[in-house]
Amino acid sequence: MSADPARVPVPRTTGAESPAEVVAAVRRRAGPPAAWWGMVVLIASEATLFGAFIGTYYYLRFETPVWPPLGIPEPKVVVPLILIGCLALTAPPMLLAYRAAAAGRLRAARGYLVLALVVQAGYFAFEVHDFRDQLHTYGITRNAYSSIYYTLLGADHAHVLLGILFTAWLLAKLAGGLTTYRVNAAQAIAWYWVAVILLTFAVIGTLLSARV
Amino acid sequence: MTGRAARRTGPLIFLLAAVLLLAGCGNGQNALAPASHQSRDIADLFWWMMGGAWIGLAIVVALLFWSWKRRNRRGLGSDRAGEKPGERASWYVVVAAGIAMPIVVVATLFVISDIFVIQTTQAPASAATKLTVQVIGHQWWWEIRYPGTRAVTANEIHIPARTPVRVEVRGADVIHSFWVPELNRKIDAIPGRTNSIVLDADEAGRYRGQCAEFCGLQHAHMGFYVFADPPARFRSWLAHEATPAAPPSSALERTGQRLFMGGACSSCHTIRGTNAQGYVGPDLTHVADRTTLAALTLSNRRSDLAGWIGNAQHYKPGNQMPDLNLTASERQALVAYLEGLR
Amino acid sequence: MAVVVPPRPAGAEYVERLERQWASRPGVLGWLTTTDHKRIGLLYFWTTLAFFGAGGVEALIMRTQLSTPNEHIVSPGTYDELFSMHGITMIFFFIIPMTTGAFGNYLIPLMIGARDMAFPRMNALSYWIFLASGLFIYTSLFMGMAPNAGWFDYVPLASRQFDPGRNIDFYCLGIIFNSIASTLTAGQFIVTIFKSRAPGMSLNRMPLFCFAFLAASLGLLFALPVLSANTIFLFLDRNIGTHFFDPARGGSPLLWQHLFWIFGHPEVYILIVPAFGIATSIIPAFTQRRLTAFPLVAIAELLVVFIGFGVWAHHMFATGMPTISMVFFAAATAMVVIPSTIQVFAWCMSMVTGSARFRTPLLFIAGFIFMFVTGGLTGIMFLAIPFDQQVTDTYFIIAHFHYIIFGAAVFPIFGGMYFWFPKVTGRMYFERPGQISFWIIFVGTNLLFFPMHIVGLLGMTRRVYTYPGGLGWTAFNFAETVGGFITLVGILLLFGNLVVSYFRAPRADQDPWHGPTLEWTTTSPPPEYNFAVVPTVTSPYPNWDDADRERDRAKLARGVLVLDEGHEQPAVTPVDGRFAEIVEMPNESPWPVVLAISLALVFTMLLIEKYVIAGLMGILCLITLLAWSWKEPQE
Repeated sequence: MSADPARVPVPRTTGAESPAEVVAAVRRRAGPPAAWWGMVVLIASEATLFGAFIGTYYYLRFETPVWPPLGIPEPKVVVPLILIGCLALTAPPMLLAYRAAAAGRLRAARGYLVLALVVQAGYFAFEVHDFRDQLHTYGITRNAYSSIYYTLLGADHAHVLLGILFTAWLLAKLAGGLTTYRVNAAQAIAWYWVAVILLTFAVIGTLLSARV
Repeated sequence: MTGRAARRTGPLIFLLAAVLLLAGCGNGQNALAPASHQSRDIADLFWWMMGGAWIGLAIVVALLFWSWKRRNRRGLGSDRAGEKPGERASWYVVVAAGIAMPIVVVATLFVISDIFVIQTTQAPASAATKLTVQVIGHQWWWEIRYPGTRAVTANEIHIPARTPVRVEVRGADVIHSFWVPELNRKIDAIPGRTNSIVLDADEAGRYRGQCAEFCGLQHAHMGFYVFADPPARFRSWLAHEATPAAPPSSALERTGQRLFMGGACSSCHTIRGTNAQGYVGPDLTHVADRTTLAALTLSNRRSDLAGWIGNAQHYKPGNQMPDLNLTASERQALVAYLEGLR
Repeated sequence: MAVVVPPRPAGAEYVERLERQWASRPGVLGWLTTTDHKRIGLLYFWTTLAFFGAGGVEALIMRTQLSTPNEHIVSPGTYDELFSMHGITMIFFFIIPMTTGAFGNYLIPLMIGARDMAFPRMNALSYWIFLASGLFIYTSLFMGMAPNAGWFDYVPLASRQFDPGRNIDFYCLGIIFNSIASTLTAGQFIVTIFKSRAPGMSLNRMPLFCFAFLAASLGLLFALPVLSANTIFLFLDRNIGTHFFDPARGGSPLLWQHLFWIFGHPEVYILIVPAFGIATSIIPAFTQRRLTAFPLVAIAELLVVFIGFGVWAHHMFATGMPTISMVFFAAATAMVVIPSTIQVFAWCMSMVTGSARFRTPLLFIAGFIFMFVTGGLTGIMFLAIPFDQQVTDTYFIIAHFHYIIFGAAVFPIFGGMYFWFPKVTGRMYFERPGQISFWIIFVGTNLLFFPMHIVGLLGMTRRVYTYPGGLGWTAFNFAETVGGFITLVGILLLFGNLVVSYFRAPRADQDPWHGPTLEWTTTSPPPEYNFAVVPTVTSPYPNWDDADRERDRAKLARGVLVLDEGHEQPAVTPVDGRFAEIVEMPNESPWPVVLAISLALVFTMLLIEKYVIAGLMGILCLITLLAWSWKEPQE
């Protein structure tokens, strides 16, 4: 009707109906979709939030002669690093899930997501357990150190939880088939996880710097 | 009157008014009536900057006026594609007046004020001053201490004239700001931290200051005086201020003292040499010597004193001193006692 | 007698299909569920005007109280709430949402040749969250527990110990709530500007208005999270008992100030940069000349926000910072002057070398330049640290920032209202009352704010609910109050004029000013789909490129690039603007309103300390998001 396709070889990506059409549309479009850019913007905002938290940590540290203050144990090294290593290992499956979805391989995509989700959920469960244990040793209201420690760590865990919800949502959506919207979502969520993992490294690094 | 002309005369009238009013203004709190080397440097800086600002504004106003003169020369749709009349000249103006001139001006201003003038207004080196005064900001009064002596007073600082005095400032509760513009710039009084500033009055006199950081309900009524005294007078004042309270000398005063010690007063106020030990309100050992009450809110005349002690909330609503239900004779006795605390 | 049937305009059948595809749902439900950027822009417009009125009333009550010494019109506690709410309202609920939410929303898609924003439902969400956050904070005023520690709430004054009521909790939660809306809007603009431009509009062909809004959006994106972190800390200190700001336990009151001003200084640039964008739209239209030094101005708009992130501690020069730190920040402050002076002279030279038509919009821009330069010159004075330390926290500062905010943000807003009034309403406005309203406002604001420079130097500190006589402040205060009421008269005349014009003025055609940008190529008001064909763009002044507009007419006649197979618009590559894909836009949706309400419940529960219920409301939000995301745009 509107004489476009011959003149304008540009895909109507959201109108793609079958998986094959989706794959073709996604391959032909130029550059990442708006959804991915939206995720970049969200990540920039959240990274700035963490920047403020981390900046606060160091500001308070340099105002305090003894850090951590007397009575508070230094943060542990081994377990946090192992945990975050496990979390980092979920980045490849998330990215591969996106690649599979973009290539139309729905079953592979779902498989990667299940794998990632299990590890992410396991990580989160461990961290919540650890968090509560620590709160029994010293509470958040002890002093400035404990205030920033638990706030920074808690914010990180909250972002991991959000990522888990994202992964679960994506899995549920892909159970219903493939659309461009879902491929875009897979791309955005994969990069969300990359960002959260990098942020978690920054957070753990900051908290562990108390040992220096 | 044309638009541009109107735009120029308006501010000029204000400038005139400003000059007239500032020239001899003796309110004691005038940043442009400096009474110290520091304030004078700052005031001079201001006059130069203001001159420059008027010139800068005049340039822009002249351009706006010129555009008005050249208005309506061509009609709608005269934007012949790509043609931008006077573009090259405009670039020159933008680069010269918009980049080069400001760079020169701000760089000069920066060097003069932030490399040179700042050296006089920053916190003094310890060796540079002969006397230290501690000022602690409370909601809503100033505690003044003279380390090395027992002198404690409130809302009035005495310093020797023509002597650099180090003032150490901190906040007891919230952030206040110590500001006596005729002597120096302001410095915040922050809990947990001590800041310092130098006061060096050129000549004897009374200078007015005020809290300059919003600190709650009665921030507006947290003024103070700085009295620069001739050095001999200062020494005798300090010596007197360090002495304990004069004992009551009449029956009425003794009644007043009894009421003070037995009632709520002694739990908030200190009177050195008696049992009254409280830190919520100012030290009253020599309260009768002060020129004002309640941080410059009231004078220290009998009627004001009487009004204040019965009904403090009326004059300074929200301040820490509650209304006391005093009978007339109780009030009379207390006033007599307090007036005896010279 | 034969009936003469007028010939159908070329391309009429395509337009009819577009009208059907894009028809908006009628009635109140249509407005509640709208995702149309123009409708959302209008919703923002009226709501922000209501808040402007509230903020103005707050100001006039304060000015009346201060007109003479020792007045008792309001109690000290009420006065503290008034000045706090005045600042909060004007900044968070008037200027930012008026410039970004109203002007930005309405005009950006039009100026870039798009049919809507990149994420229309999220756009609606921004509005409803903004409205909810405004109602949330204003509830505090009606309950007598409005924020009362200023718009910047320094601790320890704002801590639980010294401000025990709910006032500051309203502040913390209200600010965080509001910042969600602004963050979503900022992200929206950034993605839209990069991805939704008309194909062919590379970045150097984008109107300066969009550069300004891009700069402001980037500023919001990076500044707001710092404020959120700060208010989270304050909320935790007040409600959980943490010690971020408590010096007795390792915290620091100055931490609050640093974090606040790291947000707060970029915020003031965010306030004025969109207004610069409005000025750079009005000047070309009313001088019939492309703006001088376009690349310098575009870069300056971005630079001023960028450098503005590095100057924050100049708000803290009286706190006793080490000299070296202060000198660093003074140097940065010196640098931030330059992008502003570049723009001032570019605007002035455009007006000089063009053929200026001093209609009401350009009068407001001329007034803006005057006020902005006055405020900017006092701003330059503050880089002299000793002088800053003398006048900070006095009425001199109040004069400075009101010249900047009223002059450099509100004047362009007023000018922009007149400028785009024909486009939005389809009616002209009455010119003479417009000009008179400008002059009254100009005289009023100068009388109101100029004497503040003087009283500040005479020692009058800010945030005082009264002052004593005998200090030489009375006459100036009285004059300022008179100026305030004169300004009120001018503003009432301005709005009265617009209201009467809406009903009585002659109809406007699509291009009454021969304006430069794409909104002038479509009808007044624009149709839901903005443009019948995707416009051809080869310069930042598309309405002046007659050949391109001819090409568009030809495209419409042949049905090329009409994109009427659905609710469609093109997406492009971010820099070059090459055609990337055609995307389907969502229709009306109820979920943004529902999510805003759920979020309001979360914040209300947090306010009254029902944390478990707040958590449940949070789960309600997640469920709403699930419902929202379940319907994909093409369905």
